[in-house]
Amino acid sequence: MAYRDTDHDDHSHGHVSYLVIFFALVIFTAISVIADIVHIPNNAVKTVIVMSVAVAKATCVLLFFMHIKFEGNWKYILLAPTTILAIGLPIALMPDVATSYYISDVPQKYDYDEFMASHGDHSEGHGEAEHGENGHEAGHGHEEGGDHNHHEGESDKHAEGDAHSKSEKEGSDSDAAESSDK
Amino acid sequence: MSHSSSNPAGSNLKMGLPIPNSKLGMWLFLGTEIMFFTAFIGSYIVLRMGSKGWPSDPHVTHINVIAGGINTFVLIVSSYCVVVAHDAMVKKHFKTALKYLWITSALGLLFMGIKSFEYYGKFDHGILPGQIAENDWQAAQNAMTDFDEAVEYTGYSDMKLELASLELEVAGAEGSAKESMQAEIAELKESIAAIDPFANDVKKFKTFVKKEEWDFAGLTAEVSTLKESYPDQASHIHDPHVILYGNIFASTYFLMTGFHAIHVIVGLILFGMVLRQGSNLDETWTDWVENSGLYWHFVDLVWIFLFPLLYIVDFTS
Repeated sequence: MAYRDTDHDDHSHGHVSYLVIFFALVIFTAISVIADIVHIPNNAVKTVIVMSVAVAKATCVLLFFMHIKFEGNWKYILLAPTTILAIGLPIALMPDVATSYYISDVPQKYDYDEFMASHGDHSEGHGEAEHGENGHEAGHGHEEGGDHNHHEGESDKHAEGDAHSKSEKEGSDSDAAESSDK
Repeated sequence: MSHSSSNPAGSNLKMGLPIPNSKLGMWLFLGTEIMFFTAFIGSYIVLRMGSKGWPSDPHVTHINVIAGGINTFVLIVSSYCVVVAHDAMVKKHFKTALKYLWITSALGLLFMGIKSFEYYGKFDHGILPGQIAENDWQAAQNAMTDFDEAVEYTGYSDMKLELASLELEVAGAEGSAKESMQAEIAELKESIAAIDPFANDVKKFKTFVKKEEWDFAGLTAEVSTLKESYPDQASHIHDPHVILYGNIFASTYFLMTGFHAIHVIVGLILFGMVLRQGSNLDETWTDWVENSGLYWHFVDLVWIFLFPLLYIVDFTS
């Protein structure tokens, strides 16, 4: 189908300095690494910066190193379906999984609040002893909040899978939870 | 098949694309590879966005942004070298091309080296899919398994079995055979007695866990005490740690970086085929070098997206 045209590579190489593109890529990489090392308080801003840098780097590699800028119109025919599938499919999946359109019913969801209370955020440097106490207090508040008990009734099938995960092993308050679990 | 001389009456129609078959083939393959990697990267993004509590603290995930940054830099330099090598092939400077391909391959191996170092760190901290505790009870189970394995490692149960069988045998033996067996029995009893305290403490630990009256701080304290009492047998055991969504984090991490690493190895093989030619390298290899270059640039492209997504971004607000 395709044939070899021996003159095809004359038209491009004079105009692009690969070294310039290389330095641009290095600078972009440095920007991403710095964006991580310097704590940017807003995660959305950091994500946008870092992903735009990634797209810019990808464009440099694709257009110049892979020579796409100088190729014929076949590149659109080739890359259009792949791009549509590559970007379209994740976007199609996002409402189901990434946002809370459907209620996600996983064990981790029930553990999350207890976990955050008792294990906390390591970067804040909580000690283990503090964790125990925080967990205890949060455990009290959590049980009385009512949400936990609400879910327990609905999801006994999950309880069988990992009955121990819900019972916080700290004192008599959890006995009520344990007996309704089993 | 495509020259104008086979067309009627001097028409200048040319069929097909103005590129070699192999280049078209490589591009079509790269198109499928884009979809291949998008599947894994897309599912990682989607799963992570939907999981409140996904581990993002580098002290927990043991993801080192400096190692990732160096790897990115290494791949970028290697991409540059490939492009220069292809340029040299076109200009028929085969020695230069070979030199730059050697540098590219060396950089590819360096990338694999840094990646192995990162993987070793993960394995060392028990970050493997299916092995991570996601709640306190699983952390206790992991600790019990670790201690059981530590007891096994000393040969405790093997020695007890051997002792039992020797004691049966020695009853029917005589003379020097009996003496040597008795000596062996004494030795075994001594070795077993040396490990007995550790094995008994591990049993006590398991009873403690199964009573379910502890909290996470208590569990950690028990494990530390046991580790400190028996440094020879137990110092390598991990302190209990719980990582919510840790297993799916490990799954997606190893899937993406693992497939990428396999692609790097394939790229190195492609370059290896050219390097094998050595001084025999000639212009018939120009297309091969160009296509291998395209493949290598694609590998670099995937890493350019993997690096921020794995090492830097955080979807929590």
